Amino acid sequence: MMKATTVNAAPPDVSRTLSRAKSRKTGRMIGHNVIIAVLAVVWLIPIIWLVCTAFSAQSGMNTSTFFPAEWSVTHFVKLFQPDTVNQFPRWFMNTLIIACATCVISTCFVLMVAYATSFGKFKSRKLLMNIAVILNLFPGVLTMIATYFILRTFGLTNSHVGLILVYSASSGLGYLICKGFFDTVPRALCEAARLDGCNEARIFWNIIIPTSKPIIVYTVINSFLTPWMDFVYAKMILNAGISEYYTVAVGLYNMLEKSLINSYFTIFCCGGVLVSVPISILFFIMQKFYVEGITAGAVKG
Amino acid sequence: MNESASAVGYGGKVKRSISAFFGAIGSFFADFGRAAAKGDAFVKLSLIWWGAGYLRRKQFVKALIMTLLEVGVILFSIFFASQYVPKFNTLGTVQAEQIFNMQTMQMEWNDYDHSFMILLFSLFSFVVWFVALVVWMKNTVNVYRLQLAAERGKHINSFAEDVKTYLDKKFHITLLSLPVLGIVIFTVIPILLLVFVAFTNYDQNHMPPNSLFTWVGLDNFVSLLGGGGLTVTFGYAFVRVLGWTLVWAFFSTLTTYFGGILLSLLLNSKLTRGSRFWRLLFVITIAVPQFVSLLLVSNMFSNNGIINTLCSNVGLTDFLRNAGLISTSYIPFLSAPGWAHVMIIFINIWIGVPYQMLIATGVLGNLPVDQLESARIDGANKTQTFRYITMPYLLQVTAPSLVTDFVKNINNFNVIYLLTDRTFVTTNQAMANSQAREVDLLVTWLFRLTQDYYNYKMAAVIGIMVFIVCAVFTLIAFNFIIRGDKEGVYQ
Repeated sequence: MMKATTVNAAPPDVSRTLSRAKSRKTGRMIGHNVIIAVLAVVWLIPIIWLVCTAFSAQSGMNTSTFFPAEWSVTHFVKLFQPDTVNQFPRWFMNTLIIACATCVISTCFVLMVAYATSFGKFKSRKLLMNIAVILNLFPGVLTMIATYFILRTFGLTNSHVGLILVYSASSGLGYLICKGFFDTVPRALCEAARLDGCNEARIFWNIIIPTSKPIIVYTVINSFLTPWMDFVYAKMILNAGISEYYTVAVGLYNMLEKSLINSYFTIFCCGGVLVSVPISILFFIMQKFYVEGITAGAVKG
Repeated sequence: MNESASAVGYGGKVKRSISAFFGAIGSFFADFGRAAAKGDAFVKLSLIWWGAGYLRRKQFVKALIMTLLEVGVILFSIFFASQYVPKFNTLGTVQAEQIFNMQTMQMEWNDYDHSFMILLFSLFSFVVWFVALVVWMKNTVNVYRLQLAAERGKHINSFAEDVKTYLDKKFHITLLSLPVLGIVIFTVIPILLLVFVAFTNYDQNHMPPNSLFTWVGLDNFVSLLGGGGLTVTFGYAFVRVLGWTLVWAFFSTLTTYFGGILLSLLLNSKLTRGSRFWRLLFVITIAVPQFVSLLLVSNMFSNNGIINTLCSNVGLTDFLRNAGLISTSYIPFLSAPGWAHVMIIFINIWIGVPYQMLIATGVLGNLPVDQLESARIDGANKTQTFRYITMPYLLQVTAPSLVTDFVKNINNFNVIYLLTDRTFVTTNQAMANSQAREVDLLVTWLFRLTQDYYNYKMAAVIGIMVFIVCAVFTLIAFNFIIRGDKEGVYQ
């Protein structure tokens, strides 16, 4: 409005229209943002409830009010005092160990397969990739039962080795995103190195790996997160009910057993909050690559 | 997440992959035939003694390795495979029994057959033999190549040079060997095993080691597709579970897809202030692991949960009861069919829309600017640009992911299992007889059959069905949508 009055050239009715348009625009903007805010609140209600309940003084589920009647941090303290049901520190360590091992193995596998399929010029390359296409059509849950049989035969159920194998052994099949990235690496780089007398192994190690940091970060975080996010495999492999072996997912799931839920619900929420924080941070880092990965396949199609 | 991400972009290759697959096999056999026919005496001798051809070319280490490998395969066949493969056709005949041993005065187990071991190790032997066959053929081809090289007076590699090629020209073999081994043991063998189990009667009444199971042909398929006994009504449950699986996959895919696009348009609009902050808030929902968020939501909506309390406080429960929609003192959000079906789809919107929002945002970021620009110059207004440029682009780029999402939702174990496992109890006796529930997907049904009821035969059949459904949808959809990958574009 200030502007309109200082610019004398504009006739009064035009300036009024302008200011009306402007205020209408402001109104629309506020409305627009309010809609988003309302949606965001709806989306966050369960998360808010999770955090609030974690700080509740009551052990069972608060079923009468949204916010707890009394606030306290006792359950966070209890979370770190293991009893027969709750062994959270133990579970956390278990999951961390499994996640680290899985992370190392699957990152190596994915990079290896991706490099071989992207840079390799061997005859059976297409054949192998096509077999991978068909194998990927079998959803993981299906092979799970049979994998369970095999692990049981070798006495690897209820062991962390078995779980690590399940998470990482077939990880080579998830090579496509990484390969997509390698496909964009300029081939001239490799040619130059080859002329300088580098063999393939050195090209892979000294040239491709250092230039592929983003995709390596993605692969590392992604494979590190798998054991933290997974529930099915852990539930199936660790089925003997030995609490010390549990991962966080199975442990927390068991806390909500009908006979336990009244005394452990708040502890479950505490555990949930503590697990979610580091995972969320990793997820936010990975988010960008995640989007790129999903769309990369599609854009090229 | 690994699986979901890799799922994008492969389906288009399925059709061509089949012809390429057979083409590659054909040329492999042709090479072998030529080598076996045209090779000299040593090449022909290598058909029996794998190391012979290398010995002739003075590659002694290689000859030794191949000989040892051959001996290994033979020893494996004699000492390991022979215990299991001959019993493969019956899966064992000797029932496990405890016999009183007069000498030791103790009960002892007899030398019984373990059906599952027979099945698994026979399968393992088949895989080993298959690999040995390929190695044998490949070996003959290699030896023939050596012969040709020698005849032309070319240099023949020493062992050290051969090893070096595995870091250079054959580096891909070094790289691929371990991952492929992992895939064979943890994906290929399990899939084959699953297929075999589907043709046996492996269930709670036939559990090794105490009892045997055997081949039953197509009986399991027949009982799943409606035939079979009167008491266990798998056919009845299968049709319903399959129906709900497809309905669920359809609605959950569509709602989250369009919800995600709408949300991303809303967030990326010029009117939005602090769009990064808003996006962060939405992403928090998916950053929390599903076993936390879904279990929590499941408890929020439970029969005596917080939402029910709030609903009864504001009088919604009474209103619904008066309207005749519920007959209980609570709203059965996740415990009655109908209610649970709708709620599951709603809760899935909550968890699925932020994912799709992220993807759509990524795609919108790559929107071809030149097209937008020229449209603006041509005088197109906002609605027209959106209608004719943004939307078609978005749909074209994300349509393939619609198909993979659909397949992924058919197998969306987490949402269904975590939300309903402890809250939903079926009252339909016919469903309960086959351990199914109205809200089950094929995969959760399969999971419960194996975990709680040890009904492996039916689980295996259901597993094969799921694969067929997924494969059919992928093939149909990609034939229409994808134009083919352009792998070489950047190279």
